Amino acid sequence: MAEKYELLPGTLDMLVLRVLSRSELHGWGITNRLEELSRSALQVDEGSLYPALYRMENKGWIEAEWRMTENNRRAKYYRLTRTGRKQLETETALWERMSTVISLVMQSA
Amino acid sequence: MSFLRRLNFLLRRRRAETDMADEMRFHLEQRAARLRAEGLSEAEARLAAQRRFGNTASIQEHSREALGLGALERAVKDVRFAFRQLARSPGFSLLAIVTLGLGIGANTAMFSVLNGLLLKPLPYPGLDRLERIYRTTGQNPLGGTSAPDFLALRAAKEPYGDVAAYLPVHVSLSRPGEPADMAYSARVSANLLRLLGVGVHLGRDFRDAEDTAGQERVVILSHRVWQNRFGARPDIVGQTVRVDGLPHEVVGVLPSSFNDWRHLGAIDFLRPLALTRAESTNRAVNALRVIGRRHEHVSAEAAAGFVAAFGARLAADFPEANAGSAWRAVALQDTAGGGGELVLPMLVCLSGFVLLIACSNLANLLLARTMARAREFAVRSALGASRLQLLRPLVAESLLLSLAGGGCAILSAHWFRDWAAMRSTGDNGEQVVFAVDWHVLGWAFLASLGTAVAFGVAPALFALRLDLNHALKSGGRGSTGGRGHHRFRQALIVGQFALAMVLLSGAALFIRGLDDLHHRRSGWESSSLVTGNMVLPAGTYGDDQKIAAFHRLALERLRAVPGAKSASLSAATPFFHWSDVRRFVVDGQERPAPGREPAAMVNAISPDYLATYGHRLVAGRDIDSRDQLGSARVCLLGESTARALFGEPHPLGRRLAVAAEGAPAWIEVVGIVSDFQTVDPDPNPVVHHVYLPLAQSPVRHVELAVRAAGVPPSALVDPVRATIAGLDADLPVRRLQPADATIDRTLYQLRVLRDLLAGLGVLGLGLASLGVYGVVARTTAQRSGEFAIRLALGACVADITRLVLGTGVRQALIGSALGLAGAAAVSAIIGASFPGIRTNSVAVLAATALGLVAVALLACWLPARRAGRIDAMAALRAE
Repeated sequence: MAEKYELLPGTLDMLVLRVLSRSELHGWGITNRLEELSRSALQVDEGSLYPALYRMENKGWIEAEWRMTENNRRAKYYRLTRTGRKQLETETALWERMSTVISLVMQSA
Repeated sequence: MSFLRRLNFLLRRRRAETDMADEMRFHLEQRAARLRAEGLSEAEARLAAQRRFGNTASIQEHSREALGLGALERAVKDVRFAFRQLARSPGFSLLAIVTLGLGIGANTAMFSVLNGLLLKPLPYPGLDRLERIYRTTGQNPLGGTSAPDFLALRAAKEPYGDVAAYLPVHVSLSRPGEPADMAYSARVSANLLRLLGVGVHLGRDFRDAEDTAGQERVVILSHRVWQNRFGARPDIVGQTVRVDGLPHEVVGVLPSSFNDWRHLGAIDFLRPLALTRAESTNRAVNALRVIGRRHEHVSAEAAAGFVAAFGARLAADFPEANAGSAWRAVALQDTAGGGGELVLPMLVCLSGFVLLIACSNLANLLLARTMARAREFAVRSALGASRLQLLRPLVAESLLLSLAGGGCAILSAHWFRDWAAMRSTGDNGEQVVFAVDWHVLGWAFLASLGTAVAFGVAPALFALRLDLNHALKSGGRGSTGGRGHHRFRQALIVGQFALAMVLLSGAALFIRGLDDLHHRRSGWESSSLVTGNMVLPAGTYGDDQKIAAFHRLALERLRAVPGAKSASLSAATPFFHWSDVRRFVVDGQERPAPGREPAAMVNAISPDYLATYGHRLVAGRDIDSRDQLGSARVCLLGESTARALFGEPHPLGRRLAVAAEGAPAWIEVVGIVSDFQTVDPDPNPVVHHVYLPLAQSPVRHVELAVRAAGVPPSALVDPVRATIAGLDADLPVRRLQPADATIDRTLYQLRVLRDLLAGLGVLGLGLASLGVYGVVARTTAQRSGEFAIRLALGACVADITRLVLGTGVRQALIGSALGLAGAAAVSAIIGASFPGIRTNSVAVLAATALGLVAVALLACWLPARRAGRIDAMAALRAE
């Protein structure tokens, strides 16, 4: 098993938005997709995933709908809204600038 | 958006909670399923999944917070906490809720009256363009017009809009084969209902053709009469009723909204106006009431100008009839208050005072509670509670209390409505509609909120200013609060007494004034009289001969009733103003300009009128059987009238005449009658009295009076009724009862007002004394240590008592003195609204102030006595 990393603080929202920008997913699906995409390097704290989802729903970035899964189970699917898409762009831009700046500092110092 | 979402969440809270749980369970199950697939056992998989997920309850808690539910949750918690606090001291809570319920209830009830009488619009569409048109004269600012004047207005109405007229008349109404009953009808121009915008409930409106003499035998019944007298029969339309003995066809029934007491509500049925030829040329009788509806493009000012110009033209064209008169238009809604325009806002204001007293009581109580909890606040603050967190439960408590009080208020407003409806039912069953509508509910809600702010905020602010260190150190021992608190409480007590003084003196002045009015029976005597009135139907009693013959016969029979001392018939009674006002010219004096002649009220009386009502014949002779139709015309004059008209006390043998065109028809003065006063609360601008013989001017509407000798007047009611029925079975006698009952009934509106004022006064006084008692008792209890020391140092019980008494009574005195100013204002308002009531009585004000201070003394006396009885040793040891 590969080495596991805790998420950097403040990045959960961005990652969730990113994952949701590709497809509609339920909470369990988001957890899986994050682990899958990070090749199991990222361990999502499930305890903070759900409050984060509700917070973003409350802010209007994502919206939810109860639907049936392939296995015929009831699950809550989340979808990105227009504001959510905008938020994702902002956060992505911010993240890119930030990581450039940080690596710049780390390399030149 | 997010607020709505939160609200949505709150509303579907249960649903959202289960959703949250479902979602998390789904996650756990999926994880467990995967772990099972990796080879774990069922139980191990579930445990591992849960371990990985964390504490579900705590995550849900965080999730709720994330959903923005924190504030709401906290508010719910605050309210729950406040509930527990209030439930812990049920005595205080009950007292507070009852106090508030009474205060807000009184206020809401008064507001519902104001709403019912003044604020609620009359039930006519397009009300803003409806106007009453008055012909104003020196005697009557709200006068009616003559028929020819109305016809002229109708002919010239085009620049204005449309006009209609009505004429209220008392008539008898019967169904074939049943005894007749009196009814209050209105002859209306055929367009009246159309002009008002009122449709009929059943049947049809009048046709224009029915508005002509000879075609007018049709009636439209009021909804009330249809219900009460005709059993709400659906087949009423087409039936025949007899009006004054003549058959009329019922063509319609009015809607129930027409029963509104404020306008035409007393009317039992409508008939077409159908002016006779004689009526439509008679300019001397100004009895028609005119209502207009302006064209939509005509402004109120333009309409007023048109009406005034029309009146001026009439006065110029017909100076004989119209000199000195002016026409004006008043918005119909403004004529509907029943004269309560000043009094009702005053009542709402006074009930507001009751509410203020209740609020300051509660502020005092809550302040005391807050002070007693000072230590608790200090500890909580020391543990890190913010000021906001300290304040929230206090505010929640006062909100809860005031909302409970508001609930009580709506209940009491409901009860009050039934009471008021009963008390305000008119003679004819017409009612004021005091609907507890959204206006009233809104008022109750606003009053509750205002109350919560008024009595909740002050103690809360004091709680904020608590000196925590001090509170902790002093250990909450024997504290009466700081100097500021003390002064604040004293100010509250002073304010309460000032308000109570206003309330009480208002009530006392009014009660005194009404009592005065009630006993102002100078010049006549009513205690052993039976009175009633009747209208001889025009169908049966067509001419003066027949009327006079009936009067003669009726008098003979009435005098013969066992227990009757004397009996009389007359056009009016001396209890109330006479409505027949005429202008007179005096023989041998220069004739004043038309319209400037002296006016006098005229009564037509039978022989024995003076003896029956207890008037005194000052000089000359009474009307007697010599004075008949066709004999020389004679009259009697009131004492002061004689002096004013003729300049001498006993102008016997001199003559006067009714002012009219042509040669005067002289009437000889044969007697002088003692002066008297009516019980009418409104002063009459006309003060002179002229008595004509009933036989010489027979009228169909007469008041009958029988004086009892040796029996109570109530014992005469049935024999008198039987006597009249024996003469004419179709002739109802209306309001046949002891005269005092009739007089009482007439003053009943004033009495309702008196009851309201007295109720407010007593409520205010009770609350204020409760307030001063509470404060003095509490301070006294807290000062018991101080008193014990004083006693131990040699003070005697009387000193302590005086000390306690002094504090409370001083504030009551200051308050009463301040309240005098308000009392003067109330007295002025009552005086302006009821000019007949004397309200400026210094004695009453002084007595009220004394009574107030006496009550304060009593309220302070109880705790003072207890203070004097302190066991000094026990109190000191308890320290």
